[in-house]
Amino acid sequence: MSWSASFLSAGILNVSVRYLWRHRLQSLLMVVGVALGVALLVAIDLANVSARRSFELSVETVTGRATHQLVSADPRGIDESVYVNLRVQGIGVPVAPVLLDFVTAPRMEGRALQLMGIDPVADAPFRSYLNLNGQVPLEQLVSFLTRPGAVFIAREMAEQYALDIGQTLEVEVGGKRRELWIAGILKPKDTLSRRALDGLLLADIATAQELTGRLGKLDRIDLILPPDPRFIRSFEMQLPPGVRLEGAATRSASLDQMTAAFRLNLTALSMLALIVGVFLIYNTMTFAVVQRRELFGTLRCLGVTRREIFVIVVGEAFLVGILGSFFGIVSGVILGRQTVQMVAQTINDLYFTTTVQSVSLPAESLVKGMVVGVITTMLAAVLPAWEAASVPPRAALLRSGLEARSRRAIGLVTVFGLVAISSGYGLFSLPAGGLPAGFAGTFLVVLGFALLSALLMVIFLKISVYPLGRLFSFVGRMAPRSLINSLSRTAVAVAALMVAVAVTIAVNLMIDSFRYTVTLWLEATLQGDIYISAPTLTATVPSQPVAREVVDVVEDLPAASRVNYSRSITVDSSRGAVRLSAISNERIGWERLYLKRFVPIEETWQALQEGQILVSEPLARRADLMTNDSVLRLFTPQGWQTFHVAGIYFDYASSEGAILMSMDVYQKLWQDDAVTAIDLRLRQGVDANQTAQDLQKKLGNVQELLIRPNRILRAAVMEVFDRTFAITAALRFLATVVAFIGVLNALLLQQMERRWEVGVLRALGLTGKQLWQLAMLETGLMGLSAGLLAAPTGYVLALVLIYVINQRSFGWTLQLLPQPETFYQALIISLTAALLAGLFPAWRMSRLQASQLIRNE
Amino acid sequence: MKKWLWIVGLITVALGVGISLSRPKSQPVQAQLEVLPALEGEFRRAEGARLFSFPSDHGAHPDYQTEWWYYTGNLIAEDGRLFGFQLTFFRRGLVPLTERVTRESKWATDQIYMAHFALSRISDRRFDAFERFSRGAAGLAGTRVDPLYQVWLENWQVTQTATDEYHLFAAENGITLDLALEDTKGPILQGIDGYSQKGPDPGNASYYYSQSRLALQGRLIVEGEGLDVNGEGWMDHEFGTSTLSEGQVGWDWFALQLSDGSELMVYTIRGVEGDVDPFSRGIIVRPDGSTILLRYEDFVIKVTDTWKSPHTLVVYPAGWIIEAPGEDLTLQVMPRMADQELRLSFTYWEGSVEINGERAGEIISGQGYAELTGYAQSLQGRF
Repeated sequence: MSWSASFLSAGILNVSVRYLWRHRLQSLLMVVGVALGVALLVAIDLANVSARRSFELSVETVTGRATHQLVSADPRGIDESVYVNLRVQGIGVPVAPVLLDFVTAPRMEGRALQLMGIDPVADAPFRSYLNLNGQVPLEQLVSFLTRPGAVFIAREMAEQYALDIGQTLEVEVGGKRRELWIAGILKPKDTLSRRALDGLLLADIATAQELTGRLGKLDRIDLILPPDPRFIRSFEMQLPPGVRLEGAATRSASLDQMTAAFRLNLTALSMLALIVGVFLIYNTMTFAVVQRRELFGTLRCLGVTRREIFVIVVGEAFLVGILGSFFGIVSGVILGRQTVQMVAQTINDLYFTTTVQSVSLPAESLVKGMVVGVITTMLAAVLPAWEAASVPPRAALLRSGLEARSRRAIGLVTVFGLVAISSGYGLFSLPAGGLPAGFAGTFLVVLGFALLSALLMVIFLKISVYPLGRLFSFVGRMAPRSLINSLSRTAVAVAALMVAVAVTIAVNLMIDSFRYTVTLWLEATLQGDIYISAPTLTATVPSQPVAREVVDVVEDLPAASRVNYSRSITVDSSRGAVRLSAISNERIGWERLYLKRFVPIEETWQALQEGQILVSEPLARRADLMTNDSVLRLFTPQGWQTFHVAGIYFDYASSEGAILMSMDVYQKLWQDDAVTAIDLRLRQGVDANQTAQDLQKKLGNVQELLIRPNRILRAAVMEVFDRTFAITAALRFLATVVAFIGVLNALLLQQMERRWEVGVLRALGLTGKQLWQLAMLETGLMGLSAGLLAAPTGYVLALVLIYVINQRSFGWTLQLLPQPETFYQALIISLTAALLAGLFPAWRMSRLQASQLIRNE
Repeated sequence: MKKWLWIVGLITVALGVGISLSRPKSQPVQAQLEVLPALEGEFRRAEGARLFSFPSDHGAHPDYQTEWWYYTGNLIAEDGRLFGFQLTFFRRGLVPLTERVTRESKWATDQIYMAHFALSRISDRRFDAFERFSRGAAGLAGTRVDPLYQVWLENWQVTQTATDEYHLFAAENGITLDLALEDTKGPILQGIDGYSQKGPDPGNASYYYSQSRLALQGRLIVEGEGLDVNGEGWMDHEFGTSTLSEGQVGWDWFALQLSDGSELMVYTIRGVEGDVDPFSRGIIVRPDGSTILLRYEDFVIKVTDTWKSPHTLVVYPAGWIIEAPGEDLTLQVMPRMADQELRLSFTYWEGSVEINGERAGEIISGQGYAELTGYAQSLQGRF
């Protein structure tokens, strides 16, 4: 048994390899199909993993071995006396001060750098990069400690920007120019350290305070506490109000959480491309089985078991999967260079600044690509393999029998389709479904529509027989009928193309709607004529205070009829970190779009003055604040405080959520009169551009400022928006490419399969032109039906993306804007793809001689 | 079939291994540091006599590069158990006077403080030593003299409470020492009016005074057990720049409190070859506080025993005969326990000693502290 088994296995392998080799073009198309799907998957995964890894490294670099951190509710930081008191009272556990800020270096093309202020003497238990053999090398730290502006930088950065010890480096900190002095170069001991230290400016805590102007303040106090809840509780009891102990992992976990939905969406989108690829595999494998029905019949006669036939086919898929995944990984890595950049840019725009730039190729992304590629390929081959295994030994059934069967199966397929759609819909309405259920439902809906497409296509083709017959006589009638006759092939190809085009439509509709929504929102929200803020590294919300002098100048500006101030900070709420903006705008009731109001519009400001808050839609959804009596707890310098929600406003600037509070309430609680953004309402007839320029001239020396007229700011916001969706657009395009190749593949196979038939037609006297017409009509019909079917599917998918996926991922409600161009475009794309794909087979068919074609039989 | 399964299995395993290998291990970020050599510049050096005034001279003298405040003492608990302790504050200036700049941050400093805290549990043969570093800024460490003197590094501190009264506190790792100190003799100027020359160059010197008999009373907590203790202590305060000359590696220092109310301090400076430097000195403090300077030729120290540290394998002298013929004084000095070696950022021996001997035929006894440096590594350049 074992002898014969291995003999047969070797023979079987041979069968597969020879078959694949003989049908090189066909194999190549399969490989390309898998490769494209895997490439997208890998490229997106690389981007996601890199973004995450670089974030983790940034965190690790600054967190080190700390188990806990003391943080303050005060946006300016925690008072240094808290640290000194801990030390002087003898806390008895390792404790170290940390001051962090981001700076940009004009010399490094404005690259963001992490300035990290530490006390080298206290830092050794936490971070080891200054710690030589367990000792603090004081002699080497002399200038680091004593020279103003002294920093250590990592060797890589020094080499990249030709910096050396003793040189100066100009940077911008909070809009102000400062001069750094390179006191030393950190030589990382391994590659991980090299990456972690990339983009880091290490400074003494005194230097960091001076550079950032944050005298007397620390960002946090790192601690290594024993894992003893009693110790921790008693430690917490002694903290001053407004200071909070939190686990070192908590903050980074919540930051990671912030981007999780974003990353998941990208992954899902890249999976769609793979699904199109799977259709392709299925299609090709089915064809490969059909082609060899006689061979399998013969093999069965020779004593090859069903299982072995099954293994032959799955084995072929395995080979194709390996090859395809390999090429997919290679191209994914190349593609990844772009996606990594794009994803990193978006995360920097919307969420937080990461300074770690170089990230290695994460092996797990490559492995993931290989595993997913091979497994999905094999899964796609299971059905054809089963079909091959069920070939009776005596003889092969005729193809016509198979096709008759598939036509009969349409009813069943349609039922399945309807079931899939309704269970998808059912998944959406699960109360606790969340995002995973959303994606599962989306998948089912897409699958359902793909299954329905078979029936709809048949109907469409049957209808088209008459008009086509009028236009192209018998060739016109022949084309749709021949498509119906090879339904097992054509339906899959059309379904694949339909899904791909529908995805294009849906994503287009979603982006258009999103853009439209953001425009509406900007119109309602940005009502100032001129906006002033200090430049920050994340694009969405200003957080760097504007200098006092600036406020003084603006206050007395004759051109302004009204000036609104806002102060934005990150604050800890009972539901994680959220953005808080304290505002002085009394007309806030009118100058936002509201999802819900719990107080009348004209009493909104009064409610805020009394200590109520407005929350953004994502926060309201996430924190369950949708009802009238909702409250949210915020950590203030006075400790935890409860705030009533006066209304829920639309906000697309942050998905983690935002809060609006009255400036007066904020200043009372936080004792902070800093201002991060100013909006000016100008008197009638005053030119905003001119005023902005004047202000820039007047204030440019005080602080680096962004002084933007309304129009410019809106444009800037839309630019960030488009940048954010660049990757989505790229994915959409690539999905279309996959679909295109799928159609090309399907049509090529279909036409190749019909060589004999074509030969007969030729022999019967059809001209080359008529054959050409036939091929183009067939492919055109497929493209057209895919394009037409894609319209409703795409529309439904867009609804799902907007009302399920987006809302569950980010908490945003978008206004649907169905633009007809999207549908025309989709139709044109699918028709063009189909016609292009038809060109080659049509050309070949029309060229071949009848004798050549029939002789093969 | 089997073959395929095998291949699939193998690949799966390989991929699994790949995944697990590719996961980054949680390892610390490590680097080496390259800097420019420190700036050369001049600190002030101890050259010739100066006028001392207290309490201001209890405080720091940042014009000089190094400075230390040394508190040692022997304690006896209510149940008769014996303890020795050491609490030392070291200060080191990083930047010469000429290079100092004014800065805005309260953390900015050119002063680094280090402190050592050691407890010898004589009766239990246990020895613990701790070290701390801090910048001399932001209130973390430093000295103050107005209105009264204090030296501290975090919660290790000595605070003057009245003219001759001080409060000493140190706590670490379950050991808490909380003592009231009373200076019974007032500051004793060492050397010539406090100028203590250590080498042929007049600048290789320090300013040096002691409080040679501090009455101690307070509380010691060890491993949760609180003990009332009392005893006698010694304080040294010394500051200078490049105190040791080239070729001098360390010193043996004795602060001995005798039963007749007098104290003896002697030190020998040792060279590379173990030779005793002629700049070795000593002092005798009479019960009334008057002093007699002992020069190199005025005393002899003979080593009677040695002890090899099992931790560092360094061999230290561990028993001495100290003779001051001019005073008709012969003392046998023995460590109260052998292992009082501090293995901190530098390694030295500092410990409680007991004394038996005679002065002019009269039997006397006593206790004190001895410090043996430069045996594990040269201290030249550090002090």
